[in-house]
Amino acid sequence: MENILSLLIFLPILSAVFLYLAPLNVKIIRYASFTVTLFTAALSLWMYTHFEASEQMQFVEQYAWIKTYGISYHVGIDGISLIIVMMTNLIMPLLYLSFWHLNRKGYWLNLLIVHGGLTGAALSLDLILFYLFWETMLLPIFFLIGMFGRDNKDFMSMKFTLYTIFGSLLMLISILYLGYSSYEQAQVWSFSISDLQTLHLDQRTTFLLFASFIFAFSIKIPLFPFHTWLPQTYAAAPIGAIVIMSALMAKLGVYAIWRFVFTLFETLSFEFSGFFVSLGLFGMIYFGIAAVKQVELKRLFAYSSASHLSLVVMGIFAFNYYAHLGAFYMIASHALSSAALFMMLGMIYKRTQNLHIQALGGIVHHAPVFSAFFGFFALSIVGIPLTGGFVSELLLIIGAFKYNIIIGFFAATTLLVAILFIFNLMQKVLYGPKRLKEFSELRLYELFSLIPLALLILAMGIFPSYFIDKVKATAQQHTVQEIHHVK
Amino acid sequence: MLSNDIITSLLIIGLGAVIMMLVAAFTRLSNLILSFTTMGIILIAITFQIPYLGQLFAIEIQPELFNHMLRFDSFASLFNMIFLVGAFLMISTGRAFMQATKFFIPETFSLILFALFSMMVLSMSNELLTAFIALESASVAVYILVGLNRYNIKASEALFKYLLLGSFSGAFFLLGIAFVYAEVGSTHLGDIKTYIALHEQYDLLIIGGILMMITVMFKISAVPFQAWTLDVYDGASLPITAFMAGTFKIAIFSIALRIFLVDYHGLSHIFEPLLVLGAVVTIIGGSLLTLAQQNIKRMLAASSIVHSGYLMIALASSGTDNVSAAPAIIFYLVAYFLSAIGAFGILSYLRQWDTDRTTYDDFKGFAHQNPLLAAMMTVFMLSFAGFPSTIGFLGKFYIFTSAIESGLTWLAVLGVLAAFVSIYYYFKVIAMMYFYPPVKQYNLAFSFTPVVIGIVALAVLWGGIGTGLITYLPGANVIIETAQDSILSLGL
Repeated sequence: MENILSLLIFLPILSAVFLYLAPLNVKIIRYASFTVTLFTAALSLWMYTHFEASEQMQFVEQYAWIKTYGISYHVGIDGISLIIVMMTNLIMPLLYLSFWHLNRKGYWLNLLIVHGGLTGAALSLDLILFYLFWETMLLPIFFLIGMFGRDNKDFMSMKFTLYTIFGSLLMLISILYLGYSSYEQAQVWSFSISDLQTLHLDQRTTFLLFASFIFAFSIKIPLFPFHTWLPQTYAAAPIGAIVIMSALMAKLGVYAIWRFVFTLFETLSFEFSGFFVSLGLFGMIYFGIAAVKQVELKRLFAYSSASHLSLVVMGIFAFNYYAHLGAFYMIASHALSSAALFMMLGMIYKRTQNLHIQALGGIVHHAPVFSAFFGFFALSIVGIPLTGGFVSELLLIIGAFKYNIIIGFFAATTLLVAILFIFNLMQKVLYGPKRLKEFSELRLYELFSLIPLALLILAMGIFPSYFIDKVKATAQQHTVQEIHHVK
Repeated sequence: MLSNDIITSLLIIGLGAVIMMLVAAFTRLSNLILSFTTMGIILIAITFQIPYLGQLFAIEIQPELFNHMLRFDSFASLFNMIFLVGAFLMISTGRAFMQATKFFIPETFSLILFALFSMMVLSMSNELLTAFIALESASVAVYILVGLNRYNIKASEALFKYLLLGSFSGAFFLLGIAFVYAEVGSTHLGDIKTYIALHEQYDLLIIGGILMMITVMFKISAVPFQAWTLDVYDGASLPITAFMAGTFKIAIFSIALRIFLVDYHGLSHIFEPLLVLGAVVTIIGGSLLTLAQQNIKRMLAASSIVHSGYLMIALASSGTDNVSAAPAIIFYLVAYFLSAIGAFGILSYLRQWDTDRTTYDDFKGFAHQNPLLAAMMTVFMLSFAGFPSTIGFLGKFYIFTSAIESGLTWLAVLGVLAAFVSIYYYFKVIAMMYFYPPVKQYNLAFSFTPVVIGIVALAVLWGGIGTGLITYLPGANVIIETAQDSILSLGL
């Protein structure tokens, strides 16, 4: 299993290409792509069990690609990329399952491509390779929104694409500049992050490079004030695309800050940590309040997930072990919860063709099981005990207190902003007046798509140490102690 | 050993052109047979050209006979290969178009071969007058090809616009040569180079260089010499537009590179500001012009101006000490050529009865009717836009790194911004194809055109992601290495 990472990246992409070209029935395509995702999920589980709990890059593969410019196909996995890859591979088959009724070839195939692209971006250790996957995974989202979206989907797919590409292109220039600096200083072109780490750049250049990387990633996450694409895109996009964007792609933005910004510009990131911690905290409150005001469920959860991601950004910029651990844990638990919630929004939309809070109400009278699941996932977002969200919030608060007592205080008190909109939402949608005439109970495939997520969220809440062990060593990187130690 | 058969493919094309002309004059063969014969001739020429590819060499062809005027080196061999493949692909993708229209008279194929012959001479010419004659004879052939459709007022307008402006700008080249001769007393590139190295004062030489540059700028449609581009590209029939965008433009770059990398290399510090300015206005002007277009054919024509702008970035960076800019230009040309041939090929394949189908509306819902062709069109658009995993991305990658290498980082940033704008107009085509219900019905004639276009699309993808792991297929690395070799051969 030396090439397991390549298999995880390219199996979905190649099967998508094959299924596109093959003149097959839509049903067969659905079964085939589902099987592929099941297979990669199994592979990733195998990898998880064989992943050693250390900070080392594992399962590394490296082949020369464009020798003249020192670009190589270089992939490897460590604690934080393990989280992203595991989440991608576990959520994907369930996502397929939750849309089992759909008969759309383009839907399935685009999801497969984005699956491979996400995995590739999370595993790349070469900047050009990373950029390739980072951009490539945008294309399926562009297609998903434009082909299967609603309302002003054409405009929104273009806006989303342009918005994110703008950030990436500025990052591209920085990547090229880094590669050239390596050529200037070491006489060898290189785009491998381990080589670029040792460059000596003057202050102004470093800052510009740092800013362009941060800019690209903040758009994807999104951080305040680069979130303006978010609500409309979510409103226009089909559920499949939203699950990907909210549960996986946004996390990839945080991951990229960790992997690239922290590795390449560690000192500068540390100097700016105060700014980003405050920005994260502010974003959490700002998006939380914005979520309270929403009347449409997709927009509401769009802001809700932005709010939690700002918190994650705060966590990684706090530069201490607990905050890092909390951020990692939240990446995983929020990915599961938000994937589940958006999948359930899809189910609601399928039944009612409407996602406005006013139009819904009293679901619990028609579908108690549905409501139980919905309530559970909604509460897991808030972080009630026994869920993964609880552990992550606890760790983040400890981390925030270790960073600064005032920040810690604010984080601890405002974390509950989520309660405002989640409780409000549950009251109006699940209970509330019985506005809906009918609402059918969960179908079997829908149930099967939700149970694993619920179990995993519970497991993360009850046995946190089993999961934390794998990423402990990684979380100890980029901490204040480590930075001072190096100095 | 090499010098004997070195110009075989040139001779094949030249003789082929003459024979095709005679055949056209005395017999009435269908253009099916003629186009296949032409493709056959080009294929034979390609096979004679293949052994030189990837080798580092430089030979003067019959120095006594031609008075050192022709030089065959890795550079010329690479460009010849591009021209031949370009012409071959143009005819093969244009098959359906030629079938559907009446104006592809037998002489067309002879003209294509003449143009090809002249372009090959152009890329080999080591002397300015030879270059001028080759350039003009290629241009004359292209002028006629543009006006092929006599029944269409737009084509005639395009012909006269191109003819008048083209010959006017050609005169600048001639004047430039006169200035150079007045200063140096020779028009050989080698002599000019030595003259620059030995002297301090060479004002006339600089004026001559600028005048020649004006012609080059005109032919590659750099702003402010771009006025003809839209109407000419639009007026010409689609295969000819493909030929102009994909092949003829590259020929201009071949001579521009040879002149400015060999004889004017010592003066690059004088030309750099001019080229930088040209690149800036070309990129900005071209982008604005492209955004305003409502028709895909015109959009591609206008965006070719932007692509010239990217190439000028690299041309400006190719000054002293920068070894990566010139190969970057060649790579970008290859990338652009493949995408342009493919995209125009699809447009010409879609022509129905007597009208082009090139508006955005015509493309609405195209993916639902013809998923494979739509996928290919998507690949070409992505490559134009410089989207990763296509050859266009690597093209931009090389160009922008070369700009950064020369300290022109801000120019690279401008290029990136133009690439960002280009995402809009290229993705618009993709959006039209996939996001709308079908509007028009396409009854596509059976031909092997889609197969050829499919191969080009695969090449575009492979050029962007090709690894060296599969040993019997050249990876993405090979093209840039060949380009580097060909630039090296200029100095041999």
